[in-house]
Amino acid sequence: MSEASVPLDTQAAAETKRKATVSTLSRILRYTVVRLIVLFLTVVVAVYLTILIANMGGYVDTIQRGQIQEAVNMALATNPAFKQLSAAEKQAQMAAQISIQEKRLGLDKPFVVRSFLYLRNALTLDLGRALQMASDSGSKQVKNIILERLPATLVLFGTADVFLFIFAILIALSLSRKYGSFFDKLFITLAPTSSAPGWFYGIFLILIFAALLHWLPFGGLVDAPPPDSKLMYALSLMKHMILPVIAITLSQIFLSAFTWRTFFLIYSSEDYVDMAKAKGLTSRNIERSYILRPTLPTIITSFALLVIAMWTGAPIFETVFLWPGLGRALFTAVGLYDTPVIVGSTVIFAYLLVITVFLLDIAYALVDPRVKIGGGESRPQ
Amino acid sequence: MADTELLRVENLKLHFRTTQGIVQAVDGVDFNLTYNRAVVIVGESGCGKTSLAKAILRLLPRNVAEYSGHIYLDGTDIMEYDEEEFRQNVRWIKMSLVPQAAMNALNPVIRVGDQVAEPAMIHLNARPEEAMAMARKMFQNVGVPADFLVRYPFELSGGMRQRSAIAMALVTSPILIILDEPTSALDLLTQANIMNVLKRIKHEFETSYILITHDIATSSELADDVAVMYAGQIVEVGDTPRFFPNPLHPYSRKLMNSVPRLHGDTEPEFILGQPPSLINPPTGCRFAARCPSRFEKCDEEPPTFNIEGRRVKCWLYA
Amino acid sequence: MKALRNTFKELVRYPSAIIGLAIIALLLVLSVYAVVSIPYSKAIVLWRGGEGVWYEYPKYAAPSWINFFRREKLPDSFKQSSKDGTAQKTVIPGEKMTSTVITYTFDYQADEYPSDIAIYFTDVYTTKQPFVSMSWLTPDGRKIDIGSFAVDTKQTYYLAQDTKLQRKLAGLAPQDGLFVADPKAGLTPPVKGTYQLVIDGYTFDKGSTIDAEMVLYGKVSGCCGTDHLRRDLRVALLWGTPVALAFGLLAAIGTTAITMVIAAFGVWYGGWVDGLIQRITEVNLVLPFLPILIMVGTFYSRSIWVILGVVILLSIFGAGIKTYRAVFLQVRESPYVEAARAYGAGSLRIVFSYLVPRIIPLIIPQLVTLIPTFVFLEAGLAVLGLGDPTLPTWGKIINDAQQNGALYQGLYYWVLEPAALLMLAGLAFALLGFSLDRIFNPRLRGM
Repeated sequence: MSEASVPLDTQAAAETKRKATVSTLSRILRYTVVRLIVLFLTVVVAVYLTILIANMGGYVDTIQRGQIQEAVNMALATNPAFKQLSAAEKQAQMAAQISIQEKRLGLDKPFVVRSFLYLRNALTLDLGRALQMASDSGSKQVKNIILERLPATLVLFGTADVFLFIFAILIALSLSRKYGSFFDKLFITLAPTSSAPGWFYGIFLILIFAALLHWLPFGGLVDAPPPDSKLMYALSLMKHMILPVIAITLSQIFLSAFTWRTFFLIYSSEDYVDMAKAKGLTSRNIERSYILRPTLPTIITSFALLVIAMWTGAPIFETVFLWPGLGRALFTAVGLYDTPVIVGSTVIFAYLLVITVFLLDIAYALVDPRVKIGGGESRPQ
Repeated sequence: MADTELLRVENLKLHFRTTQGIVQAVDGVDFNLTYNRAVVIVGESGCGKTSLAKAILRLLPRNVAEYSGHIYLDGTDIMEYDEEEFRQNVRWIKMSLVPQAAMNALNPVIRVGDQVAEPAMIHLNARPEEAMAMARKMFQNVGVPADFLVRYPFELSGGMRQRSAIAMALVTSPILIILDEPTSALDLLTQANIMNVLKRIKHEFETSYILITHDIATSSELADDVAVMYAGQIVEVGDTPRFFPNPLHPYSRKLMNSVPRLHGDTEPEFILGQPPSLINPPTGCRFAARCPSRFEKCDEEPPTFNIEGRRVKCWLYA
Repeated sequence: MKALRNTFKELVRYPSAIIGLAIIALLLVLSVYAVVSIPYSKAIVLWRGGEGVWYEYPKYAAPSWINFFRREKLPDSFKQSSKDGTAQKTVIPGEKMTSTVITYTFDYQADEYPSDIAIYFTDVYTTKQPFVSMSWLTPDGRKIDIGSFAVDTKQTYYLAQDTKLQRKLAGLAPQDGLFVADPKAGLTPPVKGTYQLVIDGYTFDKGSTIDAEMVLYGKVSGCCGTDHLRRDLRVALLWGTPVALAFGLLAAIGTTAITMVIAAFGVWYGGWVDGLIQRITEVNLVLPFLPILIMVGTFYSRSIWVILGVVILLSIFGAGIKTYRAVFLQVRESPYVEAARAYGAGSLRIVFSYLVPRIIPLIIPQLVTLIPTFVFLEAGLAVLGLGDPTLPTWGKIINDAQQNGALYQGLYYWVLEPAALLMLAGLAFALLGFSLDRIFNPRLRGM
């Protein structure tokens, strides 16, 4: 039986290809939906826990009361009839108003009930009014203050994460290729230095490049005053981002490259890598499809933990670099004892973490067909 | 003789470096194989069978200490090829591999169809659809439903995976397929099915097999020749009709007696003692320590003796 | 015991482990020295500072050893007092008033000016305040009047704050101007030689006395330097060591041990227990760890013990639980657990005598590698200003330095000293942990 005797059915092959694409898409879509639901429930629980912790000393209640007081004051101050009243009457009227409002918002209800009201507020980003802080546009709404800071945090950590991921993967691949070489040994030796967090490297970098050499700014988002033109603004932003991004990369690159290189080495001793070689694939092909691809899920898991640790470390990191982001807002709020902002930022951090987990879950599902949907829907026979 | 010879292996050596010392996994192996025949290489676990397959396929681990000898395949010494020549002219063009455990032999994150079609794209310059069509044809040949092309390895049963691996080995129509324990991880029924597939393919495609196994019973129906391996060396080669009823080497006899038989009243025996370590193997005959027929001569390394076309490495036949 | 010795034998084959162990030993010695030389209660009093504790120390002084690396030597601090005889005091009784002359004589050889000179007066009088006038004698024989004023029973005079004197010295700061050859020629290097500060004091009441102590504040101090509150950084650097080690160790051990037990119970009971543990782990992953710690620190307590407790609580359902679970799942299927179950061992017994001990060698490297994380976490909280309010720690030094712009002002020692210790501690445990990992984790062997 020779090759030519059976005609090749390329039509069927094209059909096969289409089927493959559809099955991938539907798998990812189903997975996305399930994960979205699970993570929503997770974030609800996480935010609720945050509120419970915050309110163990009645702090969320204080936020609410403060807001009511201010609203009542405002309402009465603009009321001409109110101005005519005597001081005692004013007091009585105010107290009455406040108690009505407190009732309306459920402050007279037991904490269990109240906590769910707060949960609803937090989930709808109704985070209350700041006591001291204000957004640059003058708003005292915690939501506005935080939303104004968020982009700075996202830009900084987003850039750093992307940098770190690409660099670490490239270095790890090249190390696994040159297993046992000088650079390989160097990275093994330097891996323990990653036990120090980014802010710690930041201090050294500021000392060298800002204090001693005066090459780069000590910190901040852009020059003061902010440049007018968009281009200059972007350039100034980039200049200010150099040190923080290097600090994050420096603190994690050695450990990540070392760990991932070890993953590559472990995975390249799998039988299918030998098979690929026997099949006569070029070493580039083997590396891409038979070493990198199967290792990616493991790497993404390791990277996810790293990114989460980085997010939560933002308050310290941004404080060291005077970066006007969410973390520094939290730090400032601590200094001013501005409870609504503290609770609000914590809630937003929970959201950030959940979104990060979600995105990395999707990335994981894209690279690993074996992910189980909701626990038991995969079908190994 | 020469024009019917497909493969001739001469003095093939493959040694590994370990922390304990040099492991002489393949140590001076000679054998040959003619077209459209199957040789089964039998031996205990750890005797170097799989290393022999790797040596022929040039799948070397990082810790190789020595790799030498000659392998004439289809008339050319493929040991002379450099890595790239070997890849382009030998791998999957002349010989392919059906690996031991197909679960680990298939990339878990690539669809089976793509993995089967891959060699056709690389070696035959087939377009993706053409390669996929060839894969589909091979799937039909080995009895896997074409739907399975879009599945991932973890979605296939053990038997289906093994069939896919066979389809993969066939897709570029190589002249020699090395089967490394192709059925050992499967249940008996599946084993029999796979063996039938292999037999049919050998007949239809006129391929040759090197079948590596410790399962002598299953292999007997497929094999034309038998090579017995012990401690990194081949101690006996012969054709099945003569080997099975009457093995020559004392080790072969022991090995055959250890196989349980369906018919007959002999109890299976087992071989006393342990095979020697491949680090610092004993001088002289390597089986001497466990051999019931041992005598003084056995302290010297036995040459290979030719007994009516059968070859045996034992002083008893001097 | 034998296993321990074997591990140790293998460990010393790794140079990084030896370095790590050596640094840990050094830090332990330092901790013991800290606790013995400065008892806890004293350390807290010293660090709180305040009236009279650090008055003889200069502000922002670098450690003295930096003079080894400088061509221009910085002055050290010293004091002379009329009470203990280090300064010369002559009393000439008179009719209406008694004259007291206090002379401070000192040899000045530094190449830089001092940071300040202060005179601490302690007087006794009943009705009329004593009166002093001070003059300054330079090595080249010039005499400069510093000023005259009435003094109270306790009074401090800081030269650097005397603006009148500053005008007299052609606008130069007094602590600089008094040491130059010619104030009108601007800041020239200080004249070396013997200086004298003479206080002519007059008392008017019977039994009235004047005593005064002069402190010349240099620009270096001790082995570690000082901060903005004149505190000797030695206290916090020394005491930071046991605090950091204790926090890191306790947090790492607490977290690992509890996580391990939870994972073991989850695997052993399986079903909803296991499911619940995994759900909690998922929720825990998205709980913002540091912000919650900040909340606790702001709202409730900054005590290091409270923070330690919260850190452990938030860490036990961390990523480790998955790793341990995988191992326990294997151990659960092993024949000897089967055997234990067969002869009727209770669940608690199986968990604690069969499952947990099996994983201990595996978690030791993890535990050691975790320590630096917690050491840096504690420091990080202090950098945010959420350090323990009483304890002197490394992180608090960095926090003070940051707050006072140490890096802008070039006071690098202030940041570098605690940072170096932090790095040392972190690196030591990381080095040890990595080596242990290679010994206990066969997959990593030879990689």
